[in-house]
Amino acid sequence: MYWLPYPDSISTRGYRALILAIMVVSLIITEPVPLPAIAILIAVLEVSFRIAPANEVAKSYMSDSVFFIMGSLMMAVAIIHQGLDTRLALAIIHYTGNKIHNIVFGFVSISALLASFVGVHTVVALMLPVGLTLVRYCSARQPVPNITALLLFSIAYGSTIGSIGTPSGGARNAIMVEFIRSNSDNGVTLSYFHWIIMTYPMVLIGILTTAFLLRTTFKPEYLSLDTAIRKLKVQVAHKGRLSAKEILTIGIFVFTFLCWVLLNERIGMGIIALAGAFLYMAAGLIEWKDINKNTNWGVILLFAGAISLGVQMKNAGTAVWIGQGIIGLTGGLMEHFEVVRYIVVIILTTVMSNVMNSAGAVAVLGPITLNMGGHPLFMGLTTAIASSFSFLSAVAAPACLIIYSSGLVKVTDFLKAGWRVTIMSILTLLAMYYLYWPLVVGFTNFK
Amino acid sequence: MRFLIAIKDTTPESKNILHIGVKIANGFSADLSVIFVGKKSSAFIEGDVALARRSLAVWNIHHPGVEILKWAFESIKEFGFLSNNYTEFDPANLIEESGRIRMVLPQSSGEKIRLLLREGDLLNELHKETQYRDYELAIIGNPFKKRMTHKLIQFLDTSVFIIKNINPTWNYKILLCVDDSAATKRAIIFGAIISRQFDAPIHAITVSKTKKFGKGYRNASRWVQKYLRMQKLPHTISMITGRPTEVFLREASTDHIIVMGKSTGGELKQFFKGSKPIHTAQKAKSPILLVKP
Repeated sequence: MYWLPYPDSISTRGYRALILAIMVVSLIITEPVPLPAIAILIAVLEVSFRIAPANEVAKSYMSDSVFFIMGSLMMAVAIIHQGLDTRLALAIIHYTGNKIHNIVFGFVSISALLASFVGVHTVVALMLPVGLTLVRYCSARQPVPNITALLLFSIAYGSTIGSIGTPSGGARNAIMVEFIRSNSDNGVTLSYFHWIIMTYPMVLIGILTTAFLLRTTFKPEYLSLDTAIRKLKVQVAHKGRLSAKEILTIGIFVFTFLCWVLLNERIGMGIIALAGAFLYMAAGLIEWKDINKNTNWGVILLFAGAISLGVQMKNAGTAVWIGQGIIGLTGGLMEHFEVVRYIVVIILTTVMSNVMNSAGAVAVLGPITLNMGGHPLFMGLTTAIASSFSFLSAVAAPACLIIYSSGLVKVTDFLKAGWRVTIMSILTLLAMYYLYWPLVVGFTNFK
Repeated sequence: MRFLIAIKDTTPESKNILHIGVKIANGFSADLSVIFVGKKSSAFIEGDVALARRSLAVWNIHHPGVEILKWAFESIKEFGFLSNNYTEFDPANLIEESGRIRMVLPQSSGEKIRLLLREGDLLNELHKETQYRDYELAIIGNPFKKRMTHKLIQFLDTSVFIIKNINPTWNYKILLCVDDSAATKRAIIFGAIISRQFDAPIHAITVSKTKKFGKGYRNASRWVQKYLRMQKLPHTISMITGRPTEVFLREASTDHIIVMGKSTGGELKQFFKGSKPIHTAQKAKSPILLVKP
């Protein structure tokens, strides 16, 4: 491809960035080499292809969103280390009682609310033991595949839906905030609080609809989990009152969250996340060796590489070229019907997230969708939100893969529940774009 | 000697594979490792899955692969091959090292049984394991896909026993495929030990494409007759003209365990064209043991 003739409408740098993007996406999907090696290759080829000088490439590798991903992964390790899962179990039982429908709603809502702030991986790690323990107690006499699917999908789908609620819900959100801000010429500002106002109604609708759809998809074998709940209570009852360490863990997180809301525009989300990780270590709640052992540094490097590629695609004009190309492909439909633009973005992002990874998809697609016309804020949010619609397969979203790796749910279960939740999520997103976002922009000083 | 049994699940078929594998290892007085290779998570979320598993372990909920190892433990105990000192499977005895999880148990006969858990591509992980501990024999179930059978035979640097369509109630016979290849003598010795272990009579055949049998073939056939007589094992010897693979398959039908040497031909030639043992293993409807030289 490198030596082939290319259209006049794209610059040499832009064309080479395009080659690199195609190469990187293929490598991520097929994984012939370790993922961190792909991140290294991105840097090497960005310089070798003369897409950007070495210093500029190095700078693009260490942005605030990379700091955020690093900090939030470290904080996740620290929070999980404290064993707050038993507290969660007690809280869930306390509020839901023993009716399966209430438990499902409790699982979806608690997973969603927590995932909005602490990230999907932390929530799944905290909630999964509670869910699997209930399953174990329920299936003592006979297998309960539907209750198993109900509880595990409540955690996976609940946390995935919740992750769209704040910029700290997932790496993809932080990456999109970075892209929107760096596109300063569009005049859009998007703070942590703005994001919540724009997306949280969708989380709330998602909680209600997902709990309902899961209940209609998997008819539970029992309507009341009396015995299982009683046994779970016995297992977690010995914990007593909150210990000083647990209070400190929660306190540091609440402090970090408040900083995200109040200070993110001044010092950046990444620095705040790193400060949170520092506080956990300084307070003696976790040791560096635990963080070092349990943080996936390779993935951080890969996200850094993907963000760098996105930045270079924007700077070299590749993003604009692809964006205009997509507009041209729809034969002017996007110009006449605004909704087509959003449907194209949703489909493109959902497909990319399902074959690649949501954060990787946003890193590569973000600069493109922001250059496809339409309101930049709406386009950015649509891309970030749609990248979480990976309900259909077991491997697309971390939460889905984690519950699948328990060996208790089948691939067909994802299809059975996933198509319903995907369609509902797409319709809710379109409703947000049509009915809610224009209202927010009209009545507030958001741009 | 070290033998490796690969199991894929907890079905009756896997139990049969385990039973036969344990019996064979016992016949050879070999150290035995039972391995389960689980699927590896995408590298993107490896860390997330590890965190979730750590959190689950605190609640005494283990990796699904550990459940399979537990099942293997119970089965081996049921077969009576485990030392009486070990009555309970305790996940706390699992040790993580060199990309795998292992538990070492004493066999009733004094040798050791290892329960192993690896994650990743089946072929890759089996290859890594055989490299790591220098196994003599790998015992596996039917890979079903022809290409997978080919790869397992070619890339595992051990003898390979593929247990297909096994029926524990049948009285199997041994079909020894004898020729002038370097692996034949070892194949005969392996066949004899298995014959003794399963009380199975041996049918040794030498197949030539032409009516004329070369000197190497005649010598090999004489040697097998002498050896089996010396071992006092019930046997018959035949020399048949025909296409080797077709004759082996016809003679073996479904009630023989085929034992033959593993080809040592060029790697590239084997990769593209296969070999007599590979083709036989792909088409056989009964268990087949390919012995490396």
